[in-house]
Amino acid sequence: MLIQTVDLCKTYKNGLEALHNINLSIEPGEFVFLTGESGAGKSTLIKLLFREQQPTSGFIMISGKNINRLGRKDVVRLRRNTGVVFQDFRLMENSNVFDNVAFALKAVERPWEEIKTRVPEVLEWVGLAGREKENVMHLSGGEQQRVAVARAIINDPLILFADEPTGDLDPNTSAELMKLFEQINAAGTTVVMATHDQDIVEKMQKRVITLRKGRLVNDAIGGFSL
Amino acid sequence: MKMKSFRYIFPQTFKSMLANGWMTFAAVMTITISLFLCTLFWLLVINVDANATALEEDVRISAYIKEDTQDYSYDRLYYDILAIEGVEAVEYISREDGLKNIAGRFGNTDLLAAMGGVNPLPDCYSITAESKDHVASIAKKLESFTEIDDIRYGEETVDRLFALTDTLRIGGLILMLLMALAAVVLISMSIRLTVMARKKEIMVMKWTGATNAFIRWPFILEGLFLGLMGAVLALGLALVCYHYALGYIAQYVSFLVVLPLSAVWQTTVLFALGAGLLLGMLGSFFPLARFLDV
Ligand SMILES: Nc1ncnc2c1ncn2[C@@H]1O[C@H](COP(=O)(O)OP(=O)(O)OP(=O)(O)O)[C@@H](O)[C@H]1O
Ligand SMILES: [Mg+2]
Repeated sequence: MLIQTVDLCKTYKNGLEALHNINLSIEPGEFVFLTGESGAGKSTLIKLLFREQQPTSGFIMISGKNINRLGRKDVVRLRRNTGVVFQDFRLMENSNVFDNVAFALKAVERPWEEIKTRVPEVLEWVGLAGREKENVMHLSGGEQQRVAVARAIINDPLILFADEPTGDLDPNTSAELMKLFEQINAAGTTVVMATHDQDIVEKMQKRVITLRKGRLVNDAIGGFSL
Repeated sequence: MKMKSFRYIFPQTFKSMLANGWMTFAAVMTITISLFLCTLFWLLVINVDANATALEEDVRISAYIKEDTQDYSYDRLYYDILAIEGVEAVEYISREDGLKNIAGRFGNTDLLAAMGGVNPLPDCYSITAESKDHVASIAKKLESFTEIDDIRYGEETVDRLFALTDTLRIGGLILMLLMALAAVVLISMSIRLTVMARKKEIMVMKWTGATNAFIRWPFILEGLFLGLMGAVLALGLALVCYHYALGYIAQYVSFLVVLPLSAVWQTTVLFALGAGLLLGMLGSFFPLARFLDV
């Protein structure tokens, strides 16, 4: 078991209960969709999973460790083994493609020689070969999201978390991005993706976890359910 | 964190300092002004201290003779003073010579004319003690002489000077604290701007698993650079001012002990750079604290 949540609850400071008693487990190599209508708690669950927020009660185990009780060093190790992608890409606007991707390797203090060879490799892998010098703001939405994905996977994470990565993309571009996610998953990375895009979920036929008003209401392979 | 990683950290620092250039400028100016004033104060304090110490070592006593003393009493007085235990030499300084001396010290040749032709000084015996341990006892003896009006010697002035140094120190400390506070606030503001501008990058660094040290260093460096630049400018200004003040003092008030530039620059440089770096460190500490609580 790679990820396990135990009686996970999250109540925001304003008293809103965003998640209630979520118990789920995810095996290594799985591809999991997290769906549910707006406000169901998808983003909240993703944030808890990559430790952006702490649960109100319950806990999360990743690779056998309670991530809510980690020391500083282990938090750093956990983050080096997880990649995150967001709906709004979160790229550095004034930089080119290379710098945006290289940033993730610099942040974990990899040697420059490695960065020089590794970045073009990953860019090729996400379909942006030879685009290193281009400013990210001159790219299309789909291409920008590929840069963000390249940045998220360049450290070979065990898990890739994505919160509505196709939210701002048109259907064709979304389908392209999902192919990339499938490749990443096929290469061994566990993918957990929050989305409310029914078409994508239907087409992919993966495991689908459905939330409603903060509760887990369905967990099955296949189609979209609300 | 690896030492080698500084090559990824330095560019971040300079990029952001250039990006909010006017804030960087304002911060450097504030540090310059506050460190300039602090450095001048520091120079003042060490000089007053030097004067006090020099006076403490001074073994001379001036005994002023009463106006109505008869001429024939002068010789007897001379020998009486010489007979006091611990007196090494006694020299007579007439009121005319006294005025000339003073005029010489202040670089003014015609003091008498400046004072409207009236010499306010009394005649005086200048007494040299064998050592400074004897000064107080000699002064005490001199007080019992009816012909002697007033006694001046180092230690008295020393006490006053030390009182002055204490006042200066306390005043200076308060001034320095206020100045330091202003500098830290401005550095913090400047770095807070950088933090805001780089919020997204900080988040990405965090999520990718950068260590806190790696995230913090660009900001610490920014603080250190701001502090350092301010310190260097302040030092330059202060030392130039000091140089000119020295020339002025040497010309007009030569009896004051003033430490030459060669004697003060090392400690002053250490003082200013140390203060600059410290303020820079402090300034970079606060804006980042809440971002890093992972
Ligand atoms: N920081 C917050 N403070 C207070 N309430 C919040 C906060 N973040 C989310 N919520 C609330 O928690 C609930 C779940 O929000 P969440 O963002 O997890 O939903 P979601 O499933 O991602 O929705 P969407 O599909 O619109 O992105 C919502 O009602 C939301 O208003
Ligand atoms: Mg959401």
